[in-house]
Amino acid sequence: MENDDNPILQAVNIRRTYPGVVALGGVSLELNPGEVHALVGENGAGKSTLIKIICGALAPDSGELFFQGRAVAWPNPVAARTRGIVTVHQEPELFPTLSVAENMAMASGLPLRGSGLVDWKRVNRQARETVRQIGERIDVRQPASRLSVAHRQMIQVAAAILQNARVVVLDEPTSALSEEEARWLFQQIERLKAGGAGILYISHRQEEIFRLSDRITVLRDGLRVWTRARQAVGPEETIEAMVGRPASTVGASRSSQPDSPTPKEGPVRLQVSGFTDRIGRFRQIDLEVGSGEIVGIYGLVGAGRSEFARGVFGLRPADGLVRIDGNPCEIRRPREALQAGIAYVPEDRLSQGLCLGLPVRSNAVLSTLRRWTRGLLASRTREQQATRQVAGRLAVRYRSTEQPVQQLSGGNQQKVVLGRWLLAQPKVLILDEPTRGVDVGAKAEIHRHLRLLAGEGCAILLISSELPEVMEHADRVVVFREGEIAGEFDPRQTGPARVAAVALPRQSTEELSAAEARSAGSRARGRSFNELALLLCVAGLGLWLTVSTEGFSLLNLLTHASLWAILGLAAASVIIGRGIDISIGSMVALSAASAAMVLKLPYSAEILIPVAILAGLLAGTAAGVLNSVLALLGGLHPIVVTLGTLTIYRGLVIAMLGGKPMTGLPPEFGRLAIDPATGFRGSVAVAVLVVLLVYLWMAHTRSGRQVYALGSSPRAAGLLGLSRARLWPVTFGLGGLLAGVAGVLQLSMGQQMQARLGAGWELSAIAVAVIGGVGITGGRGTVLGVVLGALLLRLVNSALVRWGVSDQQTDLVVGSLILAALLLDLAWRGWKR
Amino acid sequence: MSWLERVSAGAETAPSGGRSKRRVFGLLPWVLLALALLLVVSQVRRPALLVEVWVPWIEVGILAFVMTAIILTGGIDLSVGSMVALTGMVQAVLWQDWGWSIEAAAGGALLAGAMAGGVNGFLVIAGLSPLVATLATMALYRGLAITVAGGDRITGFPQSFLDMGRLLGIPSQFWLAGLVLVGMVVLVHHSRFGRWCFAMGDNRQAARFAAVPVNKVEGVLYTINGLVAASVAVLGAMRHDASIPDAHIGTELQVIACVVVGGTLITGGRGSVLRSLLGLAVISHLDVGLQFLSSRLVWLTAESRLIAIGILLILVAVWNQRSQKES
Repeated sequence: MENDDNPILQAVNIRRTYPGVVALGGVSLELNPGEVHALVGENGAGKSTLIKIICGALAPDSGELFFQGRAVAWPNPVAARTRGIVTVHQEPELFPTLSVAENMAMASGLPLRGSGLVDWKRVNRQARETVRQIGERIDVRQPASRLSVAHRQMIQVAAAILQNARVVVLDEPTSALSEEEARWLFQQIERLKAGGAGILYISHRQEEIFRLSDRITVLRDGLRVWTRARQAVGPEETIEAMVGRPASTVGASRSSQPDSPTPKEGPVRLQVSGFTDRIGRFRQIDLEVGSGEIVGIYGLVGAGRSEFARGVFGLRPADGLVRIDGNPCEIRRPREALQAGIAYVPEDRLSQGLCLGLPVRSNAVLSTLRRWTRGLLASRTREQQATRQVAGRLAVRYRSTEQPVQQLSGGNQQKVVLGRWLLAQPKVLILDEPTRGVDVGAKAEIHRHLRLLAGEGCAILLISSELPEVMEHADRVVVFREGEIAGEFDPRQTGPARVAAVALPRQSTEELSAAEARSAGSRARGRSFNELALLLCVAGLGLWLTVSTEGFSLLNLLTHASLWAILGLAAASVIIGRGIDISIGSMVALSAASAAMVLKLPYSAEILIPVAILAGLLAGTAAGVLNSVLALLGGLHPIVVTLGTLTIYRGLVIAMLGGKPMTGLPPEFGRLAIDPATGFRGSVAVAVLVVLLVYLWMAHTRSGRQVYALGSSPRAAGLLGLSRARLWPVTFGLGGLLAGVAGVLQLSMGQQMQARLGAGWELSAIAVAVIGGVGITGGRGTVLGVVLGALLLRLVNSALVRWGVSDQQTDLVVGSLILAALLLDLAWRGWKR
Repeated sequence: MSWLERVSAGAETAPSGGRSKRRVFGLLPWVLLALALLLVVSQVRRPALLVEVWVPWIEVGILAFVMTAIILTGGIDLSVGSMVALTGMVQAVLWQDWGWSIEAAAGGALLAGAMAGGVNGFLVIAGLSPLVATLATMALYRGLAITVAGGDRITGFPQSFLDMGRLLGIPSQFWLAGLVLVGMVVLVHHSRFGRWCFAMGDNRQAARFAAVPVNKVEGVLYTINGLVAASVAVLGAMRHDASIPDAHIGTELQVIACVVVGGTLITGGRGSVLRSLLGLAVISHLDVGLQFLSSRLVWLTAESRLIAIGILLILVAVWNQRSQKES
């Protein structure tokens, strides 16, 4: 066992540079067992880089990491995790299409049975145990996308306890938690501490740091300022160390701002009455905001605050009346809100606020473009002027108006979003968590500007889950609870404790989550609906055809469907790993041509046939792997690469054939797929084998599940050390191999090789996958679904022939089937908006 | 596969070399264009012939100019080739079987194109992935094109109609190309609409939250694409005196290739219409040049042209990717 005097984790002189930036310039840190060590610093100080190095997501340029006294170099985060270093990231990265249980197991590697397959029973059992720790009822088999952010974080903490973690890194763990959930978290931290674990705690919130921590380390500009015992320092000292200047110049609360006007009773600017969400996230909201007033909206996560804001801004359908300056406005979409004078700064800057790849200018003027156009033409000069003006007003730090906004720091990015709406000169400004993840300095500036704006007559709604923020900066605080307004307070006359108490839900979380579990159960059934519906269609159509059609042979149908099932799986395996391969048809031709070339050699058929099959499969696999290698090395989108190789492989085929179709293949080869003597269908047997093997791989092996994980969320996969570079050669290679199988089968069935073989098949292959329920964005789809999709496609084709529709109309059928499948899926999941 | 990881990681963190390097990288398409041009010019005896040879590529270009805008928004339209075939057949059937005048039939074809494009737009707005939605309509429209006239080509249009295939001695396709090019450059690079396109391609949700009318933009773009596809079909019928149900199979891939070689990001948010013209120039010059060469060099056959274009596509795309990373 480790000695209590020795640090459990020690980072010595860690350096890490990014192009042009020194993120860490030689930082040392010690974490003792049973200690809570707070790590603080402004954004860009190097905290995240240090965490990533500790948890194995990033390798340091130099410096050493010691864990339990031994030097370590993590190859990937899973290695660190299995040794007992658990990291809970600020916004837990999840695989939304995988089950909660699988998500939890994925982080430490899925447990295997003796046979080498994934032990799903153990995965689910462990997950249920973890969930019990939190004391909430969550169905661990539902897809993780259903979990709230709070639940995600709590589950990760609970998992750390169960796993008996030695080091727990918590990155802003309370940013999405309610006060009650935060209390639960603090209890768990005490528990971990008592168990001898070392906890590295990163937070922007001073009160938490001083409540929890034993020692504090301050980072600034990639360097350690100091590490001190908590008792030895005060909050002012810490802030000074973080920002590098005296604390008195930072922060602009009401108390420190002498010119802060007492809220004047201005005319009512925004009046909302009887506002109700279509799916009940908020109900009967009545709210008035006066000119020059800042109204804070406080509530727990899930209380309906953000939904309410989006309803007012026209981003989600809601009923009720909105008046601006007394005039009723009908707002069904953001443009109408904008015209009415409402602006909305969304809660998630990166995914909802900014177009990160576009310049500062484009982001700043995006909502007010009409004002900067001359006649019909947009004017870049006028847009730049507007950008400079508003950026100057908000003191945004940037190099040029044409600089991509992603190069700015978090605080400056948030100012750009704010600036966009200032340009619109709104009458009503709604801000949703405007200071989340923003450093102390920028936070204060944003608050100062809100006060200034209010002074100009704007009505401001400030939504926050940080109670001090609304208490300090709002003139009036409205508390949301379970979609309703639970109370209204004057923050100067009410204590924070009372406000917080009102926000707590009346319904116990137990009941709530039971209700959630019920609805999740019905949704889980909805997921398998896809396959059930397909199965019913296939069975019904098949039965009808068998009964009603003379000479209809199920075996013939299966023979044809087997080819399409294999091709569909080829497309699916690539798509599930978030790739796409449109060269499948050419790969089919390439492998058929390779096999045909071998078969034409002057040797006996017994020798040639196995070699030919091998050659066909190899050619397909090689082509598939080459696609992925080109995409990875060139940094290209797979559509672009396979668009190129589609023509290259086709060109190779034509060259191999020398412009003439190849006939006269050995008859023994033809008997492989269909043997007329015995009636044995080799193609069906091969398809069954292929389907079984692919199913085993995709559903029951670690690497198969990793493909799903990668497709579900490449970012989250990256944190586990799963990269496209590792998995794409496998998925594209499998796609190529299956195309090769299809090519050899087709050659055997058709008994001749011509240059156009397989042309356009890539689209049918993708169609089969999509009809079978494979999500084109990755991570979603099953082998069974694809097989059913192939069967359905063939059946519909046969049915059309039965009805006397010509064979030429396959395109029409394929097209309508894909559309029908997509629209059904869409209707089932509910319309996007 | 660790070597791959290392290599690709190296590509991502390559030190930035500043503007001069970017310029060198940006030059590549021009150099290729010059080489390809040289190839063509060295082969041509009769320049008038050259204009005729170029018409199929000009048609691809017309479609590529509109496709650039669609790809900029993060979308794609695989059904262009099928829309050209379908609208061509609609025109022919309206004229031949329904007894419409040829001008009215052409108008009907344009309307059909706008409708076909509108359906694409509707599907995308409804929330389907553009790739899959237009994959479906690609098959659907092709099927319809074959069905409306039972799979036969229709010929024998009036001479007055065929005469419109040339304007001032130049195939009308060139005039249409000029018109569409200017229109799309203004729309994409000098209008509010274009700014919206870029924002949507970079981050669709953020664009929506910034009050960009994303549905309107998508609806308009896909409809324009259908309309332009129909114009290409009408001009094609003038030129060939025929509407062919299996025309323009695979055109969508050539169109996308032009856009990609021009340097427009396939995922949207970055690119330009004029650069797609450059992409068209590079690919078409190479193709036409090799066509001319192949009459003299026996070993230079159709397949080597295919392979050369495929390799070119990948090379230029890699080059564009690198040069954009440098900046």
